[in-house]
Order: sequence, then C-alpha cells, then structure tokens
Amino acid sequence: MAIRRFDREVCTGCGNCVAACPMDVLRLDEADGRAVVKYPADCIACWGCESFCPQGCFDVSPERARGELVSPY
Amino acid sequence: MSSPIPTPTVVTTDVLVLGAGGAGMCAALRARETGAEVLMVDKCGIGYNGQVPIGGGILAYVYPSYVDEWVDKITRGSHFFNNQEWTRQFGSRMHQATMDLADLGLTFLKKDGEIDILTWGPHIHVTLFDAPKSLLALKKTAAARGIKMMDKIFAVDLLKRDDQVVGAVGLGLVDGKVYLFDAKATIIATGNCGYMHEKSYASVLGEGPAMGYRAGARLTNAEFNSLYVWGIKLLGKELMGIHFYLYLENALGEKIMGKYYPELMEGEHAVYTFDPRVIHAMYEEVKAGRGPIYLNLKGLSDSEIAHLGEDIVADLSHLMANDTMRLLREKAGIDPGRERLEMWPRYLYSGGGLRIDLQGRTTLPGLWAAGGACSNYWTNGAGSQAGLGVQSAAITGFVAGEDAGVWAVSSPRLGIDPVYAERAVARVLEPLGRPTEIDPYEVAYRVHEAIVPMKYNRVREAKRMREALDILASARELLDRVGVTDFHDLARRHSAESMLMAAEFTYRAALLREESRAQHFREDFPERDDANWRKWICIEPGEDGPKLFTVPVPVETYPLQPAEERER
Repeated sequence: MAIRRFDREVCTGCGNCVAACPMDVLRLDEADGRAVVKYPADCIACWGCESFCPQGCFDVSPERARGELVSPY
Repeated sequence: MSSPIPTPTVVTTDVLVLGAGGAGMCAALRARETGAEVLMVDKCGIGYNGQVPIGGGILAYVYPSYVDEWVDKITRGSHFFNNQEWTRQFGSRMHQATMDLADLGLTFLKKDGEIDILTWGPHIHVTLFDAPKSLLALKKTAAARGIKMMDKIFAVDLLKRDDQVVGAVGLGLVDGKVYLFDAKATIIATGNCGYMHEKSYASVLGEGPAMGYRAGARLTNAEFNSLYVWGIKLLGKELMGIHFYLYLENALGEKIMGKYYPELMEGEHAVYTFDPRVIHAMYEEVKAGRGPIYLNLKGLSDSEIAHLGEDIVADLSHLMANDTMRLLREKAGIDPGRERLEMWPRYLYSGGGLRIDLQGRTTLPGLWAAGGACSNYWTNGAGSQAGLGVQSAAITGFVAGEDAGVWAVSSPRLGIDPVYAERAVARVLEPLGRPTEIDPYEVAYRVHEAIVPMKYNRVREAKRMREALDILASARELLDRVGVTDFHDLARRHSAESMLMAAEFTYRAALLREESRAQHFREDFPERDDANWRKWICIEPGEDGPKLFTVPVPVETYPLQPAEERER
C-alpha cells in the first residue's frame, strides 16, 4: 500500500508533491506535466505529498509500501 | 544495464551548500551577505524537506541576561563534558538568531506585535514558528537575494585538490546528469542519519557525515544522542503532544509512567515524544513480559483528545502528517476514543557528526558543516531542551555561512582536480554496472536490524554490540552486491551505505566508551567515569578502516571547572 489513490485527472502539475517527497517517489511527467507515481515501492507513507497537494489528489495509507519494520524490542 | 558514463556537467560557485534544510538555508543566506556567489543543492525539493518543516515549530530561546547562568547550567548538566566555548557562543547567539530568522521571513507566534517568548519550565523558554512553511519562507528570501538553487540533486562525494575540499559530485535524479560542483568553500548541511525507521526525518540518511568522512574529515561523538521517539505503531510516526504519556498502559491495563516516575503523575509536566523516560518505561515493561504498550484514550471526548495534542497552535499552520488523531480516523478508520492503540518506540536519529570549530570549520580546509551534520557537543550530555535542534541548525548555519563566505570571497579558486574527479565519479557510478542482485532496501533493512533494537542501541553491552556489528558486517556484504539501473536506485544505494556507516560509527564509538554518560548507557559499565573518560571520541579514516581515538576535553582551558576534580 502507501499511495492508495492518486487522482491524476485533478493534478495541475504544480510539483509540490514531487518537492515534498523525501523518497523521490514522485516525478512530473515530461509529456503532460502532471505528477506520476514513478517509484511506488519506495513510499514510506509520510503524507508529505498529501499534506502539500493543493488539489487533494492523494490518499496515502498508514503502512509503507514495503511493509513491516524491524521491532525496537 | 551498462550505460556509458555521462560527461559530467560542471557548475561553478563560490560557496556550495549541500542540503537546503534549516541549517543550509541559514548558511546560504549568511554566506550571501558576504558578497559570495552561493549555490544550494538538495536531493529533495527545496523548501519542503529536512527536519524543520516536519518538526513541532519550536525554537529554543535563552534571554541574553541569562546566558551566563545557562552556560553554567549546561556545563554542569553535562558534567563538564561540553565544549564550553561553543556552549557560550550558542547561548549568546540565540536571541539574535531568533530575530534574524524573523527578519528572513519566518512567521512567529506573536503577542502584542512582538515575538511571544513562552516559558515552558524553570528558565526554559521557547518561541513558536510556522514550521511547515518555514523553509518556503527562507527559500523566497534566498531567491530574492540571488542565491542559486538546484533541487533533486543527490550529492555523494566531495572533490579535493591536494588536502583542500573544492566541491562535490552530484547525481541529477531527474535529468540523469552527473554534476561536478566547483566551489571555493563547501558547507555540509545534510543532517545526520535518521535511517528512515521513523517517518519524520526520512530524508535524512547520513550522506553528509559519510562524504565528509570519506574525504578525511573528523567525526566526533558518534556514540551519543542516539534518539528514540514513541508513537502509534500503526502510523509509524512519532506522537506529538506533551500529555499523552499519562495514558500509556501495559497489556495488563496498568498505567506505566507512574510506576517509574511517580513525580510525573502529579502536577503539570511536558513530556515530549523524544522523552527518554517514556522509552525507558516502555522498554522495562516489555522486558518484564507486560507488553505491548498501549495508548488508552477510551472514554475521552474528541475535544479532550485534541487538548492533549497541544503542539497544534492556533494561528500557525500544521501538516496533516502531524495531526495524529485525524490520521487515525481518516487513514485507519480508528476512533482513538473507542479503542486502545499499540505504541512503539521508534529509532529517530543518530548523534554525533562532523567535528567543527567555533567558525563551523571541519578539520579539512575548504569544508564547513552545520546543523545535524556536525556534532552538537555544546550541549553534550546536558539533556535535551525543546527546540534546541532548530536553534542549533540556525546558529551553526549562520556561523558556518559567514565564515565560509568571507573565506570564499578572499581566497583564490583552486578548481577541480580532473584526476581526482574522474576517480570520484567512477566510484559513485560503479554500482550502475553491476547485476541487480540485491536491492538497496535489503541493506537498509539489515542496518535496521542492528540499529533499531533497544537491546543493542539503548541498553548497550559489549557482547550485544558486537552482535550488532556482525549484523552490520553482513549488511556490508549485501551492499557489495547491490546493482542498480538508474540514478534513483543509485541514490538509494549510496544512502544505504551512509546509513551503514553511521551505524558502524555509533557502535564502534559506543564499544570504546567503557562508561555510561548522558544517553550512552552501558549495562557493563553503568557508572560515569570522569577520570578516564572525560574525552571525546573521534573517528577518521585510517588505512584499515575507521580509526578511533580520543581527545581529552580541554576543561582546564575553559572558564568553568569542576571544583571536586581540582581538589583531588
């Protein structure tokens, strides 16, 4: 999971999500200028894209794309 | 894929700032004031990443009239282990740094038109600023002042001519270009290492200290300030809000904090997400078989729960990512007033960093460091105070920026050494030619297995730390088998190496320090040992890997000295 919805139709290509992503998951498509989820497996579900998207294009799950983490115990 | 090595693109500047977070912005802005040409480079989008926007928007503050006492308090609190000169510089610059940040565009919470200086404890003061928009505000000022910026450039290694740093090699993540930055002065402001175990500082993966070390710069204090935060396991994110600790319970339904810290259960206390007392209580309870630990807010109304999260201040914006209760409801369909929530400590951040002097200079000419990338030894062992991280980013940034700018304006350009550059580029690109046998994530996960468990990293002991180092050795074997096909994955590979190095440094230094001090706790050496260990541990590259050595804290040259020591 992670980015479970990206509403590309609504994207205006402002680039906020690309800039906000700490994991370089998102890029702007060269052809139409809108965002694309280029490296979905690297999403750690930080909600950066969702927080900064002015159009509400994103719905990000709580879980990271690569799942379970090492336990602290 | 075996691509031909692209011809590097050379970009020339006076001052190169690597990392455009809080420290990088402050360094760049101050360097620009000296008249130097300044270029900021960041692997993420400038204005959004780093640690400042996702933090709580808290800036530590010390009244100018209180600096002497503050230095005294910090020094005694650290048992004379701090660098007193830096402590004094830090304390005495806090007021001006706060005013400067406001002038540079940060929005502060104000009262009657003035920045509101809040009292959060006896002689503990903070100001609050609009964190999510803070870097965007500084970016706007930087652009207006002619500072050049390039984002989505992943800097991997420094360039040297003889012993001097003359720039860096970077990967253009979007354009696929290899960049050679030709700079008179280079400032590393990339933070330290967050390991991406906790989401908050996920972009901060140790690249700066690692590249500084590879170039020969000295690291120090790697064993200190390893930091755990606590948060809701499901969200994988620290829980902000200073009163939630009251609602932590074990699997038996017993409140846990009062068992260890009864004083916290009476009166008003502010217990932050990084408070070691909470991590301690969680560790002890789980070790005793009473885990997992839950946050039990059952029966509280929505407004009562909202009140607990007091980090959200009216008039200042906040990120959805920091609004935990809303995330629970919207993302996980959980009503925090109806079901208890499993909590986890999360490993946030490693300590230490590049050794800097009072001008922010590292041990290499041409190289400065600021923010998390340098060692915060001016408060070493004195405990944490809310907002010190951002203030330290600002002050070390201002200091390094000013010195690097003055230096760059008055020094000749040595220029890139083509032989050195060719070797550096070949090293950086080498994994592109290999078969894609191992994904960099597997290396990072293995590093987590060594760095995250509290039995290794929080309650330290020689045998267990050697186990952790064995895990890291196996991570290094994996790293050697990583092959990648594009710059995105190549950057992930280099980040994995930086994380691995940060973890190795932490354990090597922690093994060497046979005492307990501040948050470095050794089960096998539980006492502080000032006679033998009032020394800083330093790391530099040696012929057979990292060379560790100690430098005595020059306490006899400092204004404040421990009376009981003198009498011995």
